[in-house]
Amino acid sequence: MRTRTCLLGLAFVSPALALLFAFFLMPVVLTTVFAFTNMSTSTGITGGSHVITGNLLRDLGNAGVDDDIVAALSEGSFSVTPETLAAAAEAGVEPRFLGEIESSLMGQSFEDARSFESALKALPSRPTRIRDIKLATEPFERSILNTRYSSRAAMETAIASMVPDAPVDTVSAIAEASYTGWRWIDGGNFQTLLDRPETIRIVLNTVFYVAATLAFNVFVGLFLAITTFYLPKTGAGFFSVLWLLPRITPVVLYAVMWKWFTWDNGFLYVIAEQLGLPAFNYMKGSVPTAWATIILVNGFVGASFGMILFSGALRAIPVQQLWASEVDGASRWQQIRRIILPQLRWPILFVTSYQTLSLLSSYEQIWLTTNGGPGSTTTVWALEAFNTALNNYTGNLEYGMGAAMALILVAVGLILSILYLRMFRFDELVNKPRIEF
Amino acid sequence: MTRNFSAWPIYALLGILSAPLAIMYLFLVIDTFTNAPPGSLIPNEFTFHHWRFLWDPTVTGDVWGPTLTTFLFATSMVVIVLAISSTAGYAISRLNLPFRRFFLSGIMVMHAFPSVTLIIGVFLVLQYAGLYNTLIGVILVKASLMLPFGVWIMKGFYDQVPWEIEMAGVQDGASRFTVWRRLILPQVTPGLLSLGIFAFIDGWSEFMLPRILAPSANFQVLSTYLNVVSDPNSTTYNFNLFKSVGLYYTLPILVLFVVFQNRLMNIFGGGTKG
Repeated sequence: MRTRTCLLGLAFVSPALALLFAFFLMPVVLTTVFAFTNMSTSTGITGGSHVITGNLLRDLGNAGVDDDIVAALSEGSFSVTPETLAAAAEAGVEPRFLGEIESSLMGQSFEDARSFESALKALPSRPTRIRDIKLATEPFERSILNTRYSSRAAMETAIASMVPDAPVDTVSAIAEASYTGWRWIDGGNFQTLLDRPETIRIVLNTVFYVAATLAFNVFVGLFLAITTFYLPKTGAGFFSVLWLLPRITPVVLYAVMWKWFTWDNGFLYVIAEQLGLPAFNYMKGSVPTAWATIILVNGFVGASFGMILFSGALRAIPVQQLWASEVDGASRWQQIRRIILPQLRWPILFVTSYQTLSLLSSYEQIWLTTNGGPGSTTTVWALEAFNTALNNYTGNLEYGMGAAMALILVAVGLILSILYLRMFRFDELVNKPRIEF
Repeated sequence: MTRNFSAWPIYALLGILSAPLAIMYLFLVIDTFTNAPPGSLIPNEFTFHHWRFLWDPTVTGDVWGPTLTTFLFATSMVVIVLAISSTAGYAISRLNLPFRRFFLSGIMVMHAFPSVTLIIGVFLVLQYAGLYNTLIGVILVKASLMLPFGVWIMKGFYDQVPWEIEMAGVQDGASRFTVWRRLILPQVTPGLLSLGIFAFIDGWSEFMLPRILAPSANFQVLSTYLNVVSDPNSTTYNFNLFKSVGLYYTLPILVLFVVFQNRLMNIFGGGTKG
C-alpha cells in the first residue's frame, strides 16, 4: 500500500519535475558553466574545429613563434602520396604521366613549386606545355592554411608534416591556438568585468533604479492601501481598479502608452508646448527625464502589488482596535501611525524584499521604453547582460560574457530567495500528510 | 467608523497621483475612434479609420494569423499549467513522497527566484534541444517558468480541502487516484478556474520569450506583432493606429479581468510581475 501511494505521488510530480529540470535547473547549470567560457556567435555553441588562418599566423608571429615555422606553415608544399595521386587522377592528369610520377617520386615531398616542377620535367612522358605541368602540380599541393581538421591530434600531425623540425611544444601550442570553438577561460569574463570602466556605472545605475523604484512602490502602495481603506466603497473601488490596470495590461501596449505620453507630439509634449515649458522627447531626450520615465513606468506597475498585499493586511486588523482608538479621540493620522503601520511591519518587509529581487532582475519595461538610453545612462545590470548575450546589434552575441553577468544575478537571486524563505516562516507551510497510505 | 475626516483632500491627492494612469487609459480608448488636429489633444472628428487594420492587411500586415497563434499559445499554456500543477500540487499537499519537504522548498525558491535571469541559459537549452525558433519550445518554456507559481497556488487550494472527504473516500474503498479524480478535484474547481484564467492572461501578454527564443520563426504572436507595428521611430508613426492595434490585442484580457476580477485578486497577491 505504502509503495503504491508513493508511486502515485511520483507519477503526479514527475511531469513537473521533468519540466522544472529542463527549464530551471539546466539553465542554471548552463549559465554557471558557460560563464567561464568565451562562447559567442563566432565560436558557436557546440564544439569547433581546428583551422590555421592568415590572421592566426600573424598573431603567432607577433607572439614570438619562430618566423621560419610561420613561413613554412603559410606556404604550401608538394608531396607525392597515394591520396594526392588519387586527387591528381581525379583532376584529369594523364594516366601514363601519373604512373611515372608514382613509380619514381612516390613518398617524396618538395618545399616549393619550382623544385617539384623541375622534378616533373625530368620525367620522360611529361606534357610538352609548361602550363600543363603547372596544372599537374596543383593536386599535389598540400597546404595547411584554411584547412579544417576535426581533432587536435589531426592538426598536430598536419603541422608536424609541414614543419618536421619544429619543437613539440610549439606544435601543440599552435594546434591549441588554432581551435575555433569556445574554450575555458577560467575567471576571464569576471576579470574583464572588473577592468571595464562601464561596470561601476552600471552597478550604480542598478542600485539607483532599484532603490528609487522600490521607494515609489512601497510608499505609493501604502498610500493607496490606507486611503482606499478609509474611503467609501465606490471611490476606493475606482482607484484600486485603475491601479490594477497596468498589472494586467500587456507590457508592449503599456510601453506604447508611455511612449505616447512622453514622446514628441505626445501628451506631455503638447501640454508643455502650450504652457511654454521646454518640450522634447522626455523618454529619450535628457537623462533626468529618462530616469523619471523608467522609474514611473516600473513604479506604476509595482505599486499595485504593494496595494493588494497591504489592503489584505489592513482588513485583517481587528476593527475593534480602530473603534477603541476613536473613542479615545485619536485622529486618523494617529490611527495610521500608532495602530496600522506597526501591524503592517511584516507585509512591508515582505513587499520590500520580494520587489528588491524582481526589480534587480527585471529589464522588460526598460528595454521597451528607454532601452538604456540616452547613451547608456539608464542601463541596468540585467539589461546589459541581456544585451551582451542575446540582443547585440553588432551581430556577435557574447554568450559567455552574458552568462557571467547573469550568473551574478542568479547567485544573488538564489541567496536572497533562500534567505526570504527562512525569514518568512517556511516551516509553517509544510504539513505532514494525515493519511498514511 | 466615524467620518472624523473630510474625504476631498484625499480624493485630490489620489487624483493627482493617479492622473498619468487615468489620462493614458482614457486616451487609449478615445484616440482609437477619433482624430485630433495637430498640436492639440482634444479630438474633433469621430472615425473608424484607425480600426481598418482589422479588414485591410495593407495597413499593418495580417492581424488574424497572429491572433490565432496567440490564442493557441495561451490555450496550450492553460492546458499544460493546469494539468501539471493540479497533479503536482496534490502530490506535495497530500501524498507521501520521498523528499517531499525538499521538493516543496525547491518550488518555493523557484517561485521567489526571478526567472528572467535564466533567459540566457534557457536560450542555450533550446538551442541544444533543437527547439529554438519553434512555437512548441516557447510554449514549453513559458509553461515551465509558470509552474512553481501554479504548483504553489494549487497546493494552497488542496490544503484547504478537509481531510475528512478524503478519509471517507478511502474508507469506502476508493484508491487514492479515484479519490483525487472524483472527490478532491471538484473541490478545487475555483482554484483551477483562477489559475487557468491567470495562465491564459499571462500567455496572452507574453512578449519576451517569443521575441527572444523565436526571433526569426515563421509565426508571430500579437505581442511581437504590436511591437513591430508600433515603432515610433518609423517616419509615418501614428499613435492612434498603434493604440487601436494595442486595444484590440488587450480587449480579451480586459474582458476576462472584468468578469473574473474577484477571483483574480486573490491570485494577483502572489503574482509574478515586479
